[in-house]
Amino acid sequence: MQTLALYVGFGLVTASILCVGAIGFTLQFGISNLFNLAFGATMTAAAFIAYICNAAGLDIWASLVLGSLGAAALSYLLNRGIYLPFKKRTTSLFTLIMVTLGVGLVIQYGIEAIWGATDFSYTLGPGRSLHFAGMVVTTTQLIVIGIAVGAAVVMHLLLRYTRLGKAMRAVAVNERLARNCGIPVRIVADSTWVISGVLSGLAGVTLVMDVQTLNSSTGTEFFILIVAAAVLGGIGSPYGAMIGSIIIGVVAEVSAGFLNPAFKDITSFAILIVVLLLRPTGVIRSVASAKEVAR
Amino acid sequence: MRLNDVVAGYGGGDVLHGVSFDVRVGGITCVVGPNGAGKSTLLATVSALLRPRRGEILFRGEKLQGRTPKQVLQLGIVQVPQNHSLFRDMTVRENVEMGGFLVRDRHVLSERLERVMSLFPIVSERGKDKAGSLSGGQQRLVEFARCLMLDPALVILDEPSMGLDPKTLKVVFDMVRQMRADGRTLLLVEQNARAGLRLSTHGVVLENGRVRLEGTGREVLEHPEIGQLYLGGAVAPAAAS
Ligand SMILES: Nc1ncnc2c1ncn2[C@@H]1O[C@H](COP(=O)(O)OP(=O)(O)O)[C@@H](O)[C@H]1O
Ligand SMILES: [Mg+2]
Repeated sequence: MQTLALYVGFGLVTASILCVGAIGFTLQFGISNLFNLAFGATMTAAAFIAYICNAAGLDIWASLVLGSLGAAALSYLLNRGIYLPFKKRTTSLFTLIMVTLGVGLVIQYGIEAIWGATDFSYTLGPGRSLHFAGMVVTTTQLIVIGIAVGAAVVMHLLLRYTRLGKAMRAVAVNERLARNCGIPVRIVADSTWVISGVLSGLAGVTLVMDVQTLNSSTGTEFFILIVAAAVLGGIGSPYGAMIGSIIIGVVAEVSAGFLNPAFKDITSFAILIVVLLLRPTGVIRSVASAKEVAR
Repeated sequence: MRLNDVVAGYGGGDVLHGVSFDVRVGGITCVVGPNGAGKSTLLATVSALLRPRRGEILFRGEKLQGRTPKQVLQLGIVQVPQNHSLFRDMTVRENVEMGGFLVRDRHVLSERLERVMSLFPIVSERGKDKAGSLSGGQQRLVEFARCLMLDPALVILDEPSMGLDPKTLKVVFDMVRQMRADGRTLLLVEQNARAGLRLSTHGVVLENGRVRLEGTGREVLEHPEIGQLYLGGAVAPAAAS
C-alpha cells in the first residue's frame, strides 16, 4: 500500500506535465486539424532555451518563462511558415503528418548537432521532500503540479468566458460556420498556435525540472504519453485531455514502479487501446467526431 | 438586390453560367431547382464565401463581389447554411452569441440577445444545453436566432425545410414570415419547391446553373412546365391556391 501511494504520487506529477502538454497538443488538432508530431520537439527546444537562460545565471522561474515564450514563437512560426503553406498545397492528411514528423526530426537532430547526445540538467534552488499520505513529493514537483492546475484553470476560463476562447471552440467544431459568423479564423488559429506553444514550453521545462535530465530526445520520448492522453480523452477536446492525462500519468508511473520503467509506454497504450475499443471517440465525445457530422 | 450575369464555380468548371435575377426588398424570394443545380453555390457567392468569376452582385447599389465574407456580414447580409449549421459542442446560448461576434458594443449585444430570446423562447429555455442535443426543428430555430444577432437586412436561408416534419415546418415557415414582417428581405433556397414557393412572394427556377424562369411565387407555382418538372406532376388548382 505504501509503495502504491508513492507511485501514485509520482503519477500525479507526471499527469500534471502531461496535462499541460496534452491541452496544447489537442488544441492544435482541434483548430488546425493537424496531428502535429513536432510537438515533442518543441518541448525539447523550450527546455534547451530554459537551459541556456539557467546556465547564464537566471533562476529557473525566469528560465521557464523565457523557454515557454520561445516555444510560443517557434510554434507560431512552424504553423505560419511551414504547415499553412503545405496545407494550401495539399489536402492529404497523410502528407501533412509526414511534414510534422519531418519538422520534429529536424528540430530534434538540430538540437543534437549543437549540444551533442549528452545529458544536461538545470540548477534548481534547494528543495525539500514533503510526505503526505504515503506520497513523497519535492517542493519543485509540488510547484509543477501547481503550474499544471493553474494552466488548466486559465485554459478553462479562456475557453468558457472569453471572446477568443469561444471563437477557438467555434473554429474547432466547424471552421466554415465560424467564418460564416464573421469570426476571424486566421487570427484565432494564430492565437491558438501561440497559446499551445506556451503550453508545450511549460510542459517541456517542467518535465526537465521533474526528471532532472535533458537531452535532444527528452520531449519526443515524453510526447508518446501526451498522444495517449489526448487521444484517450478524445482528440480535440481540452477537457478530455485533462482527464486522459490523469489516467495515463498515474497508470504509467504505477506500472513503471511495480513492473519496470520500460512498461510506461506499453501500459499507457494498452489502456488507450482498451478504452478506444469500448469508446472509439475517447472519454469525451471528441471534436473530431463532431467534425465528421458537420461535413 | 440584383444579380447580373454571375458566373461562379469550384476549381475547373463553372457551376453557375450567367445567373441574373432580382431580390425584391421586403419580399421573400425563393430559388428552386433540382439537386446539383447550383443553388447552394449561388448563396455562397452572395455571401462572398465563393468569388464570382464574372458578373456583379449589387446590394442597395453597392457591389458585393470582391468583398470579404466579414464585410458582407457587416452590410447586413447573413446566411444560415444548409443543414448542421450549429456548433454542436457549444451551448445554445453560446451559439447565439457567436452570431453576434461582429458586434463589439456590449450594450447593443445584450439588447439584441434580449430581443432574440423573446422571439425564440427556446434560447433561454435550453440556453445551457449543448446545441447538438436539440431536435432538428429546435436546431433550425436556434440557427435563425443566431442569424438575427446581427439585425440583418437580408436573411439568406439554404433549405430551411430540410429534414423537418410538417408540424415543425409550419413553425419554421411562420418564423420566416415573421422575419419579413419585421422588415427584413429574405432569399431562400428550397428543395421542397411547392412549400417554398407558397411561402414566397417571388420565385426563381434554377436549372444547370441557369435561370429557367422568374416571376411571382404564384406564377412560378402555376407555370405548367414547372409544375410537371419540379413539383411532382401538374399542380392541381386547389393546391396552387
Ligand atoms: N465545395 C465544392 N467543390 C466542388 N464542387 C462543388 C462544391 N460544392 C458543390 N459543388 C458542385 O457544384 C454543383 C452544384 O452544387 P450545389 O450548389 O450544392 O447544388 P444545390 O445546392 O442546388 O443542390 C454540384 O455539381 C456539386 O457537385
Ligand atoms: Mg444545396
